[in-house]
Amino acid sequence: MFLRELKVNFKSFLIWAIVSIFLFLIVFLVYPSIISSDEMGNLNEMMQMFPEELLKAFNMDISSIDTAYGWLKSEGFVFILLIVGCYAGILGSNIILKEESDKTIEYLGTLPISRTKIVLSKTFAGLIYIVGLVMVIGLFNLLGLTVSGEFDVVQYLLLSITPLLPALVVFFVCMFIATFLNKTKKMLGISLGLVIGSYLLHTLSGMSKSVVFIKYFSVFTLADLRNVIINVRINPIMIIITIISSIAFLGLVIYRYNKKSLV
Amino acid sequence: MNIIEIKNLTKYYGKIRGVIDLSLDLVKGEIFGFIGPNGAGKSTTIRSILNLVNKTSGEVLFNGRPLEKNDILSKRLIGYLPSEVHVYEDLTVKQMLDFHEQIFKEDLSIRRKELVERLQLDETKKVEELSFGNLKKVGIVLALMHNPEFVILDEPTSGLDPIIQKEFFNILLEEKQKGTTIFYSTHVLSEVSKICDRVGIIKNGQLLKVEPVKELIDKNLLYITITSKDSNKIITDLGIDTISSSDNTIVFKNTDNANDLLKKLVKYDIENIYIEQASIEDIFLHYYE
Repeated sequence: MFLRELKVNFKSFLIWAIVSIFLFLIVFLVYPSIISSDEMGNLNEMMQMFPEELLKAFNMDISSIDTAYGWLKSEGFVFILLIVGCYAGILGSNIILKEESDKTIEYLGTLPISRTKIVLSKTFAGLIYIVGLVMVIGLFNLLGLTVSGEFDVVQYLLLSITPLLPALVVFFVCMFIATFLNKTKKMLGISLGLVIGSYLLHTLSGMSKSVVFIKYFSVFTLADLRNVIINVRINPIMIIITIISSIAFLGLVIYRYNKKSLV
Repeated sequence: MNIIEIKNLTKYYGKIRGVIDLSLDLVKGEIFGFIGPNGAGKSTTIRSILNLVNKTSGEVLFNGRPLEKNDILSKRLIGYLPSEVHVYEDLTVKQMLDFHEQIFKEDLSIRRKELVERLQLDETKKVEELSFGNLKKVGIVLALMHNPEFVILDEPTSGLDPIIQKEFFNILLEEKQKGTTIFYSTHVLSEVSKICDRVGIIKNGQLLKVEPVKELIDKNLLYITITSKDSNKIITDLGIDTISSSDNTIVFKNTDNANDLLKKLVKYDIENIYIEQASIEDIFLHYYE
């Protein structure tokens, strides 16, 4: 069952991994010419004109975009957060609903296998691919940065791990929501909306002190890139919250799936 | 001994009726025909037995024990062929059957090989390339290869050619001889009279009648054609609801004992009487009209 789930989801993992690598490959290929151009100075000047809150929201106040690593810290990891988050959301939805959407659940549901085992097999396969995508992107960028110039390896590795925290919560939340539906089509919009909406809340929360409380409604607060860049450590509270939330939602998924009408 | 006991099964999909208060016992080793038109509640009954849908109320006992969603031991003993077979399209037939064996964690190769050969199934083909009939064959092998005690078949012959249908009926009769209980849901009434021991008729979610097939055919419905100058008097005296009436000839359905009817007709001047046994199709329609 577990191997079957790995096989079924391999193709989409491969596509996401290739597209992600392609995206960052372009960055590493194009960036040297950008930073060596005369316009770079103008760009830096232009950045100074942006409001402090906006620069803060993209970590541009604590990193400079005149190196590839600087770009990764300010914008690159935002892309990684969104890519891994969207992948986790779509995967969490599909992994639960695909059998129902394809109607193979009528076969699977009658086999001598408990629904809890079905959920756990799907969960472990999904986790492997989410960790896999984070690793593929992380290793590729590590390679790119090694070629591009100097950078703080420890800080980079910690930054590479952080997208995993919101992605895991998104994965389990989307699995949970999927237990209320029967079609993958409906769930696609919900999972993408959840990720993008959550990211917008996270960005907005950094723009003004009066709306800082919004960050508690965003899973991307768990990534806490700013703290990793400044302190070169992942806040253990974020790890604990991720683990507790993930386990809680997995429990809810198992509970709901055991109660669900499958056809 | 009952292998399946369905007790007061009710299923509503929101406000829409699925099945209402259906109770039914299946005896070990019998082939039970389950007939009804589209939307009567056949598939809902099957899905409720298999816990694919949640029952609104009622329970299903398998070998005397409530059949629960996660009752792995009982599920090992049940085979199911849905009306439309949906299996993993990315696999070949061989890989699909291998997957089934892996789930059951036992060597099912002998029975599998026998069924594949008898149904002339090509294991090298990809599932997505299979015709409806060949997909049905895959479903039949999946339903039977783990030697279940109880098999649920939903419209099993649709898509099968006559030669494979014949072989399929032979397989079912062999299963019956081994003691397997078969729940056979169908629209094809001739199949019911051919292989079923008992039949249940379901209409608007309610089980109307459960009867041995032979008795249903023998006792319950006769078409009577009488030619008599007393035809109008016969209609009035016996309170007959005629199917057709012309000149002195009347045609009507009789659900009473034929002997009783003949005794009642003795006092009339009958020119001709023709008693025809209703086919299973006629009986079926009789209950639905």
